[in-house]
Formats: sequence, C-alpha cells, structure tokens
Amino acid sequence: MKKLAIVRLMVFFLLIGSSMAVAQEKFPTKPIEVVVPFAAGGSTDVLGRLVAKYAPKYFDKPLVIVNKPGGGGVTGTEGVVRSKPDGYTLFLGYGSGHDLVEPHFKKLPYDTFGDLLPVCRLSIHSICMIIRPDAPYKTLKEFVEWGKKKDQVTASVSTRAGSVDITLQALGKSTGLKMVTVPFRGGAESVTAIIGGQTDCGGNHPSEIISHIKAKRLVPIAVALEQRDPALPDVPTFKELGYNVVTVGSVKGVGAPKGTPPEVIQYLTERFKKVCDDPEFVQEMRSIGQPVMYQAPADFGKFLKEGFAEYGRLIKEFNIKLE
Amino acid sequence: MSEILGMFQGLFSGFGIAFSLTNLTFALIGALLGTVVGILPGLGPSATIALLLPLSFKIGSPVTSIIMMAGIFYGAMYGGSTTSILVNIPGEAASVVTCIDGYQMALKGRAGPALGVAAIGSFIAGTVGIIGLTFVAPPLAEFAIRFGPPEYFSLTLLGLMMATLLAGTSVLKGLIMVVLGLLLGAVGLDPISGEVRFTWGLLMLQEGVDFVTLAMGLFGIGEILYNLEKALATELVTRKISHLWPTLKDWAESKWPIVRGSMIGFFIGILPGGGAVISSLVSYGVEKKISKHPETFGKGAIQGVAGPESANNSAASASFIPLLTLGIPGNAAIAMIFAALLIQGVQPGPFLINERPDVFWGVVASMYIGNVMLLILNLPLIGIWVQLLRVPYAILAPVIVLFCCIGVYSIRNTVFDIWVMGVFGVIGYLFRKVGLEPGPLILAFVMGPILERSLRQALLISAGSPLIFFKRPIAGSLMGFLLLFILVQIIVTFRKRWRISSTPSGV
Repeated sequence: MKKLAIVRLMVFFLLIGSSMAVAQEKFPTKPIEVVVPFAAGGSTDVLGRLVAKYAPKYFDKPLVIVNKPGGGGVTGTEGVVRSKPDGYTLFLGYGSGHDLVEPHFKKLPYDTFGDLLPVCRLSIHSICMIIRPDAPYKTLKEFVEWGKKKDQVTASVSTRAGSVDITLQALGKSTGLKMVTVPFRGGAESVTAIIGGQTDCGGNHPSEIISHIKAKRLVPIAVALEQRDPALPDVPTFKELGYNVVTVGSVKGVGAPKGTPPEVIQYLTERFKKVCDDPEFVQEMRSIGQPVMYQAPADFGKFLKEGFAEYGRLIKEFNIKLE
Repeated sequence: MSEILGMFQGLFSGFGIAFSLTNLTFALIGALLGTVVGILPGLGPSATIALLLPLSFKIGSPVTSIIMMAGIFYGAMYGGSTTSILVNIPGEAASVVTCIDGYQMALKGRAGPALGVAAIGSFIAGTVGIIGLTFVAPPLAEFAIRFGPPEYFSLTLLGLMMATLLAGTSVLKGLIMVVLGLLLGAVGLDPISGEVRFTWGLLMLQEGVDFVTLAMGLFGIGEILYNLEKALATELVTRKISHLWPTLKDWAESKWPIVRGSMIGFFIGILPGGGAVISSLVSYGVEKKISKHPETFGKGAIQGVAGPESANNSAASASFIPLLTLGIPGNAAIAMIFAALLIQGVQPGPFLINERPDVFWGVVASMYIGNVMLLILNLPLIGIWVQLLRVPYAILAPVIVLFCCIGVYSIRNTVFDIWVMGVFGVIGYLFRKVGLEPGPLILAFVMGPILERSLRQALLISAGSPLIFFKRPIAGSLMGFLLLFILVQIIVTFRKRWRISSTPSGV
C-alpha cells in the first residue's frame, strides 16, 4: 500500500514537473507540419521527405510532411497562408512556379510576397531541355535548323503555364520556331512522351530525367539558368548557346505565414541550414538530381522577387499568352 | 539464351532474399493489411501506403519496405472484390465491375462461390502477371512506352463504348450515365489550357471532383441511404448462405474467363495510366460479348466476377513493369511505392534491375510468395468475410459511413470532400430510386479526362489533323476494332428489331 502511495506521489510530481516544463519550453513543443502543395511522389514531395528524414537530428520536434495537392499548388499554399502564424505550419515549394509564374496571368487568392515570409531556400530544380538520342538533331543549334524546315515543332511539358512551359515557349519565340507545347499530367508523363517519340523535344527538372540520361534514353541539350546546374555540370546554358532564355527554374524554398514571430523563423532557418550542411543529406540529394542550394531568408526573399521579375520579363518580351 | 539464364539466376537470388524471416514477415503483414483495407470500404491501398510512407525508412532496407507495400497493393486487389460482392460497394475503381454480377450473386445466396472464384481467379491471374513481370518486363515496357496520345484516345474510346453496354438492360440509361460521368470528369482545370471550368468559383473544385469521394458517395453512402429506406437490408444480412464453394458447373463457366482476364489484365496493366480499371472493364465487356447467354450478365453471372477480378489482379502485377523498368508510376498506389523507393535512395528506372538487383528480384520473388499467402489467407477465411453479412445493419452502416469519411478525408485532408461525398450520396440514392446504375458514370468519370487530354494532345501534335488516329498502327487498329464493334452492334440491334417485327403477333 505504501509503495503504491509513493508511486502515486511520484506520478503527481512528474505530471506537475512536465506541465511546468511545457510552459517554459520554447518553440517547438509539438511536431511541425510541412505542407507540400503537390502530390506524393513528385520532386517536391521527395525533397520534403528527405528533409524530414534528417530533421530529427537537428530539430527538437519531428517534421510531418502533408500533401495538399490542388490547383497546381495554389490550394495547398493558400491553406498555409490562412493558417495560424505560429511556425507549426510551413509551406515547402516556395518559388515552385505556381507562385512566380501564375500571378502574371491571373490573380491568385493570396499575395506570393506579402502573405508569406521566406524561411530559407533548399534547392533549385532547373529547367533542362531534352531530346531523344535517335533524333535527327544532336544539339540546340541543329534542333533549331531542323525545326525551321517544319511547320511546327512539338514539346512535352509537365503542365500549362508552368515554368517549363514558359521557358520552352520563350525559346520558340526567341528562335523563331513555331513551338507547340503539349501539356501532360506532370513531369513523369511528359518524360514518357518524349522517350516514346510522341514529341520532338521536352523540358524537365534534372531529378525527373537523371536516370533516363544515364540509361541513354534522353540527351540533355541546354539548361535555362544563369549558370550551369550542379546536377548536370556538362550541360551548357541557353545563354552560353546564344539564346537569352534565363530563369530561376523551379525554386524549392520554405515559407511561413505572415505574422510568424521572428524568433521562430530564426529557429527554423538555423535548423534547416544544419540539415543542408549535413554531408549525408547533400550526398543523398545529389544522387536524386536535386542539388542543395541553401539561402538565408533575406537573400532568399530578394532572390524570389528577382525570379518573379525574370518570368514576367520572359512572358512580356516573348508575348506569351495562355491558349 | 544467356539472358534467360540471367533471369533465372536473378529470380533464384531474389527468392533467397524474399525467404528471409524479416522479408517473409513483412510480406505477410503487407498481404494481411492489403486484404483488410481492400475489404474496408473507404480505405484503399493508396491511402494505406501513404499513411505508412513515413514508416518506410524505419522498417529497414528498401527491399523489406517495398515488399510490404507491394503486398498491400496486390492484397487489396484480393480484398477489393469482397465488399463489391457482399455489400455492393467497390473499395476502388477496379472493383466497380465486380459489383454488377457479384452483388447479384450474393443476393441469390451465392456469395460464397462469388468470393471463391474471385480469390482463385485473383491467385491465378496475379501469378500470371508476376511471371510476365519476371520474364518479359524489359521488352514489353519498351512496347508500352510507344503508347502516345493517339493510342490512349483510341483505347479509352473503346473502353467507354463498352462501358455504355455495362448498364445492363438499357443502352439509353447507360448513355445517360456515361454522359453524366464525362461532365463530372470535366470539372476542374482544363487539362490543356489550364483554365478553370465548372467550379462555381470554389477553389476546392479546381482539381476536379476526387474519384474516391465520388465513388464513396455514389456507391457507399447512396447504397446505405437506399437500404435504410427499404429496410430490406436486415433481411439480406441474415439470409442463410449455402454453397460456400463454387460448384463444378461454376468452375467450368469461370475457367476461361479467368484465363482471358489474366491476359487482358496483363497487357492493359503494363500501359502507364491504363491499369486495373480499364482492364476489369474490358474483361467484363469481352465476357459479356462472347457469352452464349449475355442476358444472364447483370443478374449474377459468375463469368462477370471471374473475368474482371482476374484482370485487375493481373494488371496490378503488370503495373510494376513500367515502375521498375522505366520509373513510371501508372496509378496512385504505384506512385506511392515510387515515392517510397526514392525516399530509400533507390531510383526506379531503366537502371534499377542492374544497379539494385536485390530490390528488383527480391520484390518480384516476394510477390510469388505473397500471392500464395493471399490464397491461403483468403480461401479458408472466406467464411469469416461472409460473417460480415451477419453483422447487424445498424452497426455495419455507421461503420461504413465512418470509414468512408476517414478515407475521403485522408486523401486531401479537407472536410470539403466529406460534404462532396454527402451530396453524391444523395444523388446515388436518387439514381437507385429511378433505376439508374452508377457504374458507367464512374467509369466515364475516370476515363473522360484521359479521353479529353489524349484527344487534344494528339491534335496538338498533328497540328489539328484527325488522321493521326488512323495513320499510326496501334491507334489505327484500335479505331478499326471500335468501328467494327459499333457496326456489329448496329447489325445485331436491327436484326433483333427485324425479328421482333417479323414475328407474328400473339406468339
């Protein structure tokens, strides 16, 4: 009986102690929800799950990846914008394209810059132009010459008005080719269409094509970045080849709803940086074609605005319209 | 020759991996979980695998976690038929067709044979699919990848034509449902231009109506509402079930549908995006077409269970072919396995077999074992599944509603979808009241977007010329078959009319 009383007493103090500890504990006191506004299995989802895998080493609470696909990324992002700004709901994929490209065509239910705070940049998925190895053209120059003799050239893209679509349409305009972009349902399907010979060329992110390149099913011919992509160091940029098609690609950053306390943002930024510095994480990211390209909040915010302006310039300069 | 030898060597080493105690245990867990989620309406294999994804790198090696996930996927194909037959609720699209005759069989007290034939057909077809996966994976995947928009358009159009005939008695009613399904499928973003259509300004509808939400509403909730009104349910669930085992006559009738279903499922299953739905549908269409007694279909024909249930299992095995050899996930559940592989640092694609033979052959070998496990699990346990019928409706109905809600909520984590399911539940109830079969609607809903997208993609590629559907060999053959099919239908209909009108009155 006495023993039981002691146990009870201990439990009592344990409970009091732990509740006091909770009251004093700093952010985070519960798991952090990371919303991926795209379907499971996509490149952003894989990135998120890799980060979540390494998070327990550096974060005090686990990161939980939640897929909220819909509206090309807008639905899930809006959900984060409207959530409580306490740091427990984050948005992964800040800069993916829906938030940088779509506002040039239509009004989004939120403001990409005003309603979200940048936490950090994790990676950039560049846009790489690809062709089949058995195509009658081997380089961008040969492709343009070949295409000029045709009524139209076709290009597989993952979605209409995405970053890939805009990039290839801009290439068409700058080369004088009649470039017809054929939207598929996501990157995997558009890759299949190029390999299967349905279209003349295509554009994809390195993580979607790296295994096909190794297996010589696809040949990368140009990358739409300012500098070469670390994931594909042998592939020249459009700029090197003489075409002024430069984008920021599809940016994979982390965002938090406006109003999130600065110390919480700071905590998150620091911990994400530690994940990005983990050599094993870097190695795993490299193996799936997603280079780690960390950027702190201030630089990342600036970078996003530049990227937004860059897409705006492409759309305006090449007079790209949605059909 | 050396290639074939290599395959046997690979398979042999794969069995070595699959027979380890850990892998056997996880194959069993996967098969059991798969059967259970297949049976529970509302919780499908995709949702289950998604829920288990965070656990996948805690389980251990990639082989072990993929073995379990694969088990969930093909196990659900076994379990999926159970609810279709017993309570007329398909757990997923691939079991829609099974409802038609399976449920009719159950109403006639022949739930046992229906379940038995479904399990054995599933085993045979699943094994056929795995044998195909083992030996013809690389060359067949090469063939499947040649399928472009024109081929998909022809194939889905053919499938849709057959769906119209699924309505059973009336082609007109079938057409009504197909058109409704196509319209519902058009809700959301225009697949080519990205414009928003038919959403009434609701952001949640931008991505369209979710399949599971629609199916759970029309079938699950609709059926429950209907049963509540009729109070017939209690009679159904307490009806005595005899002849648990299929009779010799049943076997004679179902052996060829099983063989044909295995073949149909395999060849459609390897097409990326094709998969279990179209294959079960095509199988049903074929069986009804070549049957000497097509009038028994829709009234409890065992062929209508044996064929499609075999086809969807064979397709499930075959859908691993584009995943493991080309890195292309063909359906939602396979996409989850795709993600799991990537998380484990295994890149599904053309290099997989060479770089990670342990993963490829280990998983393939485990599928042979898993299928045997499922057969053992399912056949003796048929008695237990039949017990489901004895659960009082007052308990069963709320449980089904609960699982429908959980299942629907888990897909996008939004309450909105539960409301959508409720609305379709009422619509499904009204359909039943006026004798409309929701099967063709749901099939048209699935195929409508594929049909539209492939049509417009093909026309973009051909610069607007419809000749693209006839110039390419595969698309052209499919189109030719379709035209022939329509022609035969017209002739048959007119001959029937002519016979009726030429028969003297009063006979």
